[in-house]
Amino acid sequence: MLEAFEILTTSGVVLWSKSYAPVGAHIVNSLINDVFIEEKVQFQAANNAAPSLKKEKYTLKWKRVKEFDLIFVAVYQSLLQLGWIDKLLDNISTLYIDLYKDQLKSSRARITQYPFDKYFDQQVRELEDNSGPISSEAFVAHAVDKKDPLVSSDNGGPPPPPVPGLLKAQHQAALAGATSDESTPPHTPDTSRSSTPVAGHIITAKGGPGGRVSRRARKAANASANVSSGDENTRKGKTPKNAKKMRKWDADGFADEDDGRILDYSAPVDGEEAAVPAVEAVSQDSWGHRTGKGQFVLKDLGDEVHSILENAESDKAKDAPSTGFVGSGFNAIGGLLRNIVGGKTLTEADLEKPLKTMEDHLLKKNVAREAAVRLCEGVQRELVGKKTGNFQSVDAALRSAMESSLRKILTPTSSLDLLREIDAVTAPTSKQQTPRPYVISIVGVNGVGKSTNLGKICYFLLQNKYRVLIAACDTFRSGAVEQLRVHARNLKELSSRENAGEVELYEKGYGKDAANVAKDAVEYGAANKFDVVLIDTAGRRHNDQRLMSSLEKFAKFAQPDKIFMVGEALVGTDSVMQARNFNQAFGTGRNLDGFIISKCDTVGDMVGTLVSMVHATGIPIVFLGVGQHYGDLRGLSVPWAVNLLMK
Amino acid sequence: MHSHGDWTSVEGIATSLLDGNPIAIAVTLFIAFGLPVLLHLIFYQTVASPPSSNFLLLGPSGAGKTALLTLLETKSSHLARKDSRLTHTSQTSTVATISLPASVPTASNRYRSVNDTSLKDVSKNPVKYRLRDTPGHGKLRGSQGLATLLSMSASKDVKSKLRGVLFMADTAALSEAEALRDTASYLYDVLLILQKRALRKGKSSMKAASEIPVLVMANKQDLFTALPPGSVHEKLEAEIDRIRKSRSKGLMDASVDTGAHEDEDDILGSTDARVKFTFASLEDEIGVTVDVVGGAVISDEEGNLGAGVKKWEEWIGQCL
Repeated sequence: MLEAFEILTTSGVVLWSKSYAPVGAHIVNSLINDVFIEEKVQFQAANNAAPSLKKEKYTLKWKRVKEFDLIFVAVYQSLLQLGWIDKLLDNISTLYIDLYKDQLKSSRARITQYPFDKYFDQQVRELEDNSGPISSEAFVAHAVDKKDPLVSSDNGGPPPPPVPGLLKAQHQAALAGATSDESTPPHTPDTSRSSTPVAGHIITAKGGPGGRVSRRARKAANASANVSSGDENTRKGKTPKNAKKMRKWDADGFADEDDGRILDYSAPVDGEEAAVPAVEAVSQDSWGHRTGKGQFVLKDLGDEVHSILENAESDKAKDAPSTGFVGSGFNAIGGLLRNIVGGKTLTEADLEKPLKTMEDHLLKKNVAREAAVRLCEGVQRELVGKKTGNFQSVDAALRSAMESSLRKILTPTSSLDLLREIDAVTAPTSKQQTPRPYVISIVGVNGVGKSTNLGKICYFLLQNKYRVLIAACDTFRSGAVEQLRVHARNLKELSSRENAGEVELYEKGYGKDAANVAKDAVEYGAANKFDVVLIDTAGRRHNDQRLMSSLEKFAKFAQPDKIFMVGEALVGTDSVMQARNFNQAFGTGRNLDGFIISKCDTVGDMVGTLVSMVHATGIPIVFLGVGQHYGDLRGLSVPWAVNLLMK
Repeated sequence: MHSHGDWTSVEGIATSLLDGNPIAIAVTLFIAFGLPVLLHLIFYQTVASPPSSNFLLLGPSGAGKTALLTLLETKSSHLARKDSRLTHTSQTSTVATISLPASVPTASNRYRSVNDTSLKDVSKNPVKYRLRDTPGHGKLRGSQGLATLLSMSASKDVKSKLRGVLFMADTAALSEAEALRDTASYLYDVLLILQKRALRKGKSSMKAASEIPVLVMANKQDLFTALPPGSVHEKLEAEIDRIRKSRSKGLMDASVDTGAHEDEDDILGSTDARVKFTFASLEDEIGVTVDVVGGAVISDEEGNLGAGVKKWEEWIGQCL
């Protein structure tokens, strides 16, 4: 069963909502945060199905209408398989926008009351009813939609239909009358044939020598029908009469060969209009059902709803084919003009070429292919259906959209103030917490500059007068400990000269288990009142399962406050997999906390690795390495990076 | 003769118009260029100009910004509905025109006599202002909230003049260190922008009269766990002081190397880090006032919509 349905604007106001069970606001908030703002979850556009997200025990499906900045969200229990939610989202969005188009455009859209409950209830009931039989519910719902407007139009439009019970009785009387002179009047095929198009039956009427006979029979049948009830004609309105007569004649069982021929011709018709035979049956069914319950008002509402949906459908159909030769010519000229003047509604075709150029541009900036493609897809989703601004070309619109998308990706969700966090741990404000050293560990692929960056961070911390312990946990590569010893010696020298903090190296030689050494180092740091423990680890290939698996144990033993991964700016497509594999290596519930992108000075403006890595994992960039000296460590400036990328 | 036109017959007029004489050209030119201008004047003069006082609503996500906006909007409209709307995390900013309730005095009324008849007209013709709501999510803060603040505070246009910044804080969440840090760092960024603006103004020796005041709205006072406004004041000051210290020691941005370095100091308040930061000292130094006022968007009182925002509206009134 559906738990809740909400219609909200992108500015965060819920315009209309209906809940069958209490669903916390955080469920929808998390949808907005994860999907729309942080874009953590990636969706490949399935054909027509609304995207869905599982959160706690709920599944959320949503639909975005860009023109009005609306989001339609349906929430239901994940245990249930509700196939009609997609259809519901579609129908509700069409209905809602059609009904409240004007209110939504006005300035008081946020505070207007929307009496939408009855429409919604009607839709839910209808779709739920129709989803009973296994035969694809979308098809049945569609059939109902198709049939009902016909009925309402026959009734003369605006005035509500007369008591359906009566109508139905008349209808059946008419049918009975029409088929009275026939030996076996099979009801269902009869009615079903009534709404098949004229064309096919004209052909059948012409067909063969039986034509004349059939005409006579038709006349007779016609007369009987007219006699039995004049209402039949008005009720059936424009539905082809010959169709029905043809069928009756057929049922008479005159000439066998004629009969065969007719069936021959009707067979393809049946094939074409596969939906049609079910039409009458279903609509009558639901009709009777409703009448039985005495829900006349509902029926009235149903008509209104269906006519709206039908209109939307036909509008869509009208839009699809190009409007003649002259029309398309005008459109082309108008489109050209609007390219320059702006105010153009963007379509996928408009964006295809500029997007390709944009993708190439991003690839040239060393953004990994996967990230570039997904970025472009995201921008395309954002832009299709939007109007360009005044005097804004498609390229400019695309550019600004890409810029804001890049900015959004690179901006961290919460501010990264490392010093502030170290202070919070080493000198807590509240009495409950006991001071302890802040543990930072650094991981990465071989040769990306883990030790060098560790040295830089250490220098930065020393400048801020912290006592730092460096733990040499690379117990594998020969010379790694010696390398750190050199760093430690240099930094000691520097800090004593500048009267900064203190630094010490914790080493246990080679061949030991890194996780145990790290654990010992943290304990040593806590015992000797160090502020920060920096742990260096061995470099490892991100696709080597054996080496990566030891990271989980490491994270468990050392319990680092921060795990930073060093990635080089030089790496290309591999950056995505590096980031992803390292992010997953620490087991469930523990992720990387940030990236350090080293060697940024060597790539010029090709800083695409920044985007690739953040895009793959959603983890922010903390530091950039920009040179060979201890002081060449920088924070990330988002405008700077975006500028370089878009240059 | 003929060229000098007889303006009596139709053919004559047509001839002389197509003749290329200066009068006809002048008339044509006048119509061609004058008509658009005329139409513009007709259509755009009739539309009432929007109110020129702007307020910006900032604050972290989940503090109650959008809820406040819809509440004020509902209050200022004469619609029957009196229930509060549900809100979710915002992704885009919105603007709403809101009228100040007649009972709230405006600052400009100080100069009026008590017997001024126009004071009584206020209920008929309420003072209007525009409130801009911004998303508070960490990723959207910089690109929407702070960018709007920058552009609005820098603009010289009277129409988009910023009268005040409303900074909303969730007092029920502020007792947690994480939320406090987040709120304080956002407020720090806001105050830093205002400080830069004030200092820049001082350099170019413009009149420094119009500083943008900041109201810290201590929201959710209706909740049991909420901190009182006084405590919020203290906590924010202490936290901003800590942020100030760590920022002064922090690393430089990567953009520094590209030469876009401004030697403006990026630290809020006095450059001497030993001096403790207070909102009062900020007012002394750069003239930006910061008030902390408690209130609640959702109030318990039945039938009295928006009783909890009364104090905030009074503050807004004092800025008008």
